[in-house]
Amino acid sequence: MSNWLILPVLIPLIAGIVALFFPKHVTAQRVWAFITSMILIGVNIFLLTYILSNGIMTLELGGWEAPFGIVFVGDSLATLLTTTTALVALPIIYFSFSTIGVEREKYYYYSFFQFLIAGVSGAFLTGDIFNLFVCFEVLLLASYALIGHGGTKTQLKESFNYVIVNVVSSAFFVIGVAYLYAVTGTLNMAQLSERVSEAGSEPIITVIAILFLIVFGLKGALFPLYFWLPGSYSVPPTAIGAIFAALLTKVGIYSIFRTYSVIFNEETAVTHTILLVLSAVTMIIGVIGAIAYRDVKLILVYNVIVAVGFILFGVASLNSDAFVGAIYYLLHDIVIKAALFLIIGALITAAGTSKLSGMGGMIKHHPLLTWMFFISALALAGIPPLGGFPGKLMLVVGGAEAGHYIVVAVMMVASLLVLYSVIRIFLQGFLGEPMLTHAEQHGSIKAQMPPIVFLVALSAFMGFGAEIMYPFVESAAETLINPRAYVEAVLGGNS
Amino acid sequence: MFTILHLAIIAPFLAAVLVPLLYKFIPRIHTGWFVLIVPIILFSYFLSYLPDVSGTGSVMKTFEWIPSLGVNYIAYVDGLGLLFALLITGIGALVVLYSIYYLDKHKEQLNNFYTYLLLFMGAMLGLTLSDNLIVLYTFWEITSISSFLLISYWYTKEKSRYGALKSLLITVMGGFALLVGFVLIASVTGTYSIRGILDASDQLADSPLFLPAMLLILLGAFTKSAQFPFHIWLPDAMEAPTPVSAYLHSATMVKAGIYLVARMTPLFAVSAYWFWLVTGFGLLTLIWGSLSAIRQTDLKGILAYSTVSQLGMILSMLGAGAAALHYDSVDNNAYTMAVAAAIFHLINHATYKGSLFMMVGAIDHETGTRDIRRLGGLMTLMPISFTIAVIGSFSMAGLPPFNGFLSKEMFFMSMVEIAHFPQYSVDSIGILLPIVAWTASVFTFVYCMMLVFRTFTGKIQKEKLPTKPHEAPFGMLLSPLILVALVVFIGFFPNTLVPTIIEPAMASIMPELAQTGSFGVDIYFWHGFTPELFMTVGVVLLGTAIFLALQKWNKMHAVFPENRLFNQAYNRSLEGLDRSSHALMSWHMTGLVRDYFIYIFSFTVVLLLFSLFGTGAFTIDVENMVPVSPYEAVLSLVLVGSSLILMFTRSRLKAVIALGVLGYTVALFFVLFRAPDLALTQLTIETVSVTLFLLCFYHFPQIFDALKETKFHAVNFVISVTVGLTVTLIGLSASGTRLFPAISDYFLENSYKEAGGNNVVNVILVDFRGFDTLLEILVLGIASLGVYSLIKLRLAGGENK
Repeated sequence: MSNWLILPVLIPLIAGIVALFFPKHVTAQRVWAFITSMILIGVNIFLLTYILSNGIMTLELGGWEAPFGIVFVGDSLATLLTTTTALVALPIIYFSFSTIGVEREKYYYYSFFQFLIAGVSGAFLTGDIFNLFVCFEVLLLASYALIGHGGTKTQLKESFNYVIVNVVSSAFFVIGVAYLYAVTGTLNMAQLSERVSEAGSEPIITVIAILFLIVFGLKGALFPLYFWLPGSYSVPPTAIGAIFAALLTKVGIYSIFRTYSVIFNEETAVTHTILLVLSAVTMIIGVIGAIAYRDVKLILVYNVIVAVGFILFGVASLNSDAFVGAIYYLLHDIVIKAALFLIIGALITAAGTSKLSGMGGMIKHHPLLTWMFFISALALAGIPPLGGFPGKLMLVVGGAEAGHYIVVAVMMVASLLVLYSVIRIFLQGFLGEPMLTHAEQHGSIKAQMPPIVFLVALSAFMGFGAEIMYPFVESAAETLINPRAYVEAVLGGNS
Repeated sequence: MFTILHLAIIAPFLAAVLVPLLYKFIPRIHTGWFVLIVPIILFSYFLSYLPDVSGTGSVMKTFEWIPSLGVNYIAYVDGLGLLFALLITGIGALVVLYSIYYLDKHKEQLNNFYTYLLLFMGAMLGLTLSDNLIVLYTFWEITSISSFLLISYWYTKEKSRYGALKSLLITVMGGFALLVGFVLIASVTGTYSIRGILDASDQLADSPLFLPAMLLILLGAFTKSAQFPFHIWLPDAMEAPTPVSAYLHSATMVKAGIYLVARMTPLFAVSAYWFWLVTGFGLLTLIWGSLSAIRQTDLKGILAYSTVSQLGMILSMLGAGAAALHYDSVDNNAYTMAVAAAIFHLINHATYKGSLFMMVGAIDHETGTRDIRRLGGLMTLMPISFTIAVIGSFSMAGLPPFNGFLSKEMFFMSMVEIAHFPQYSVDSIGILLPIVAWTASVFTFVYCMMLVFRTFTGKIQKEKLPTKPHEAPFGMLLSPLILVALVVFIGFFPNTLVPTIIEPAMASIMPELAQTGSFGVDIYFWHGFTPELFMTVGVVLLGTAIFLALQKWNKMHAVFPENRLFNQAYNRSLEGLDRSSHALMSWHMTGLVRDYFIYIFSFTVVLLLFSLFGTGAFTIDVENMVPVSPYEAVLSLVLVGSSLILMFTRSRLKAVIALGVLGYTVALFFVLFRAPDLALTQLTIETVSVTLFLLCFYHFPQIFDALKETKFHAVNFVISVTVGLTVTLIGLSASGTRLFPAISDYFLENSYKEAGGNNVVNVILVDFRGFDTLLEILVLGIASLGVYSLIKLRLAGGENK
């Protein structure tokens, strides 16, 4: 049974490799990508429910027992994330059919996409910090390929920035792993957890913890490490921007979740205070960016940064309510960012520009798109009963419980400004005097609607069906608050 | 369990889903007729609850929504809730009826209109009939959103969108404050249930969170009920179609804040802050609103400010009523009358203001303008509208025999009474309360007279009217006529409302007092020669004098220039926010990766060095280190030397060679440390990469020469040196703090035994950690594919797609 745990990585990996053999058969590429993504969803959902009833699942790769070999750990947090990943991958793939262009499809687009998913899923599942680095490399390489894919001028310029920054952050990652290995003599996260807590208040561990915060903060676009993000997320085609915005920062955030709960949970005074301050500033700088621009893509891109602040505020608050909030928020943010990116992509297709000043009155010809955007905008701002609300509510509850009233206030102001930033798109782009007649519009968006509707429905489900999700989220938060279960599952409680 | 009651509350939502279908498939019939059924059925349904809530009764039905987070959909019907439910459905039915004649089925997007309206109706019902604060908050936000949609209904109009955004920002700001307030309350009492919280009110009163929670909730209530200085959104909300203004922005939604204050009174009324804030802001809004109303020239503008003002008046009565809770029983407790007056006036306001809005809508519809400077002399042309205007306005002005007179008298009475309240140092400035109340009433009287006489008397100016005026169709007059009939009926028989609605609602606001006996409310016209009667007489005399003076002078706006202070504050802060955020972003988001690295590296080293030395983690332990041999010393020097050349050379060729030297030296280190296979690998990599670099550079343009002019950057130099230093120092400290035996011993032991390989490194790569290697191969594969597609696939253009 435990071998199933490799499937979330293996399926996209093999799917991507197989797709390399028939690059010019676009229809076959599409069908193959679609079918394998469906299978991936099925497997993930199966794993998720299996783990909820049977507890944490582990897989020792190559049969080498932990902590010596690499181990995959399927707890609720990891599988919730792999499931959500699969659930957003499918609609984005569908969206690509009509938007990405046949040329890109012929040049391994779907393979890169699948490899990205493999890397992301691997990062969520691995229980080994060096393997986490390797999974990061997989997803980064795939993202390098995707961001420059097609090689337009702006893409190349921004992909240069993106690659350089990420190479540096990868270097820091390896350095951090080396430091950690020097001090603790192990790479297995469960054993790291044991050894770090045995070491007690060893100051060098705090330093290493901060280094990891910087490494993952660079991936997750935490203040002041987010500079690479706005450009690199806004230049590639919509489908690529959507998968980036939905997933890539989330891997960084997840890694902070994992390392800061399982490993660096002893001396929290310094590390979590830093995290608290950074999360608050991240919210602020994110909304400032979202308000500053009149380009719909940039507005959304900065909203990605705001969410990073929100979610990490939950980690900094360090109680189970806050973790429940952070996880709800994280999961929903994956979905809603994908949805909003796709919607904006469709909007840009119809309007022929990404500048707000050049669009107006979309509601006249595209009422469905308009309402999808409106609902998503409200969900993004955490308006109940939509999907963003349970997370936001529990973040407020957890934050108040931890006594971080000022950050709660910052969060609320940020939420309001988030709403302002997206409602402006609604008022100017979707309402207002129509600028173009139906005939003048730059292409049909009919084929782009199904994935959008799917994602918005998923987001709505996360709000109305919060109770259905709760056991999973609760159990995920439980492993974060009490990593004992995680450690025992990996090391069998005897080492 | 999901009961009929829950269904009734969400019925408007379900109907909202049907509206677009009805609009599409049955276009011949005005969609409003279908919609009308909903509030009528609901109104009759909620009427059936009247016996249940009489006295102190209530009905509660629970449906579990997110029990794990303490969020349950508890429908709770008590006196206060039912009062609102009846208002929402009753006025709702009249408004829908009115809208059928107001909105043309051919020209208007009726599907949108009725969907929003039903959304609002459901949200408002849910808000007032919910026991769970989070559910209440949910519905609260939906009312803000549906209001936003209705204001922006004519979405091509710039002003509609401006008003919609303004109302959304202000009410949602209040909503978010409310949410935090609720969370704070729940963090003390452990429940989101209002019943539960009231039971634990003592706990809350002792908590340091009491005051913050109260302030946040008041912020929510004040923004929603358009209290000073948040009132600025309401006049701009008048861009919505008039049925909406009549419904949301005067009769129901804006009263959600009042509902909340009433609901929270038993919780917070023990505090002097509550009394002063609610009463104070109420009175301030009352006088500010009435003064602003006089300055308006748009009929709907007058009504908007009048609504602001009247809402303030109701709040001030509720605030004064909070004093009642300082007494143990209803006996000898005059302050309960303030609460009764608040509820009574709330009902009265809905009746006369609703009718006035509809009357104004009719005038707008038939003459094409709402500007009082262009209107006049409509009395003979629109006699029914005139009748409605007279009854509505006179009731609002507080003239007998209409219901407004009764509640105005009660208002004066409670203000006079409260001035004698023995606590909270009311005695020192309490005399101000009746004075402010009276002054505001004078202004109220003036604008009420303006409303009637400027519109209907004087000379008709037909040349200034866009269309030829005539009386509105009967259907449009039916709803306001029903409302003014109520104004008169309630005026003459106010006590029919007392046991059925007013006293049960009072019981909800003052539950403990309600246990001690009947409130004994008795409303009647003649109280004898009391202070309040003289106050009313004074209002009429002075008000008439001012009105006549102003009319003669006809320079009202010179006397009361339009005060835009708060509007300007709103506009400027939004503009300032846009501008300064744009400035901040373009200042630091330069798009240059070298700038970004300055930020990133500075942050990294500052944080790391601070923690390294701040926590005392810095140690250098030379004991476990091997002594440096001459070979190693020389190699290290070569390493340092070649990296320096790499940094400072201006020639590509030299740079590549320096890089090669660097790599080969590392390989030599591997040789020294007896790792031949690593050395071989390193040699191969270096050879390949140096060759590749040289090949690439062969094709490059000679831009390196241009770089010769580059100056020495001290900042960059300091940062790069510090980064290197930091990494080294932490490295030394980490290797000086080896706390545990490394797992590598296991690999040494088992490499041959278990995995059958003598070369440990190889076994680690292909077996112990073979999965890493698998993925690394994938990385290489992706890289090569990526490079290939980058070279082969060059799409045109750099535009965003």
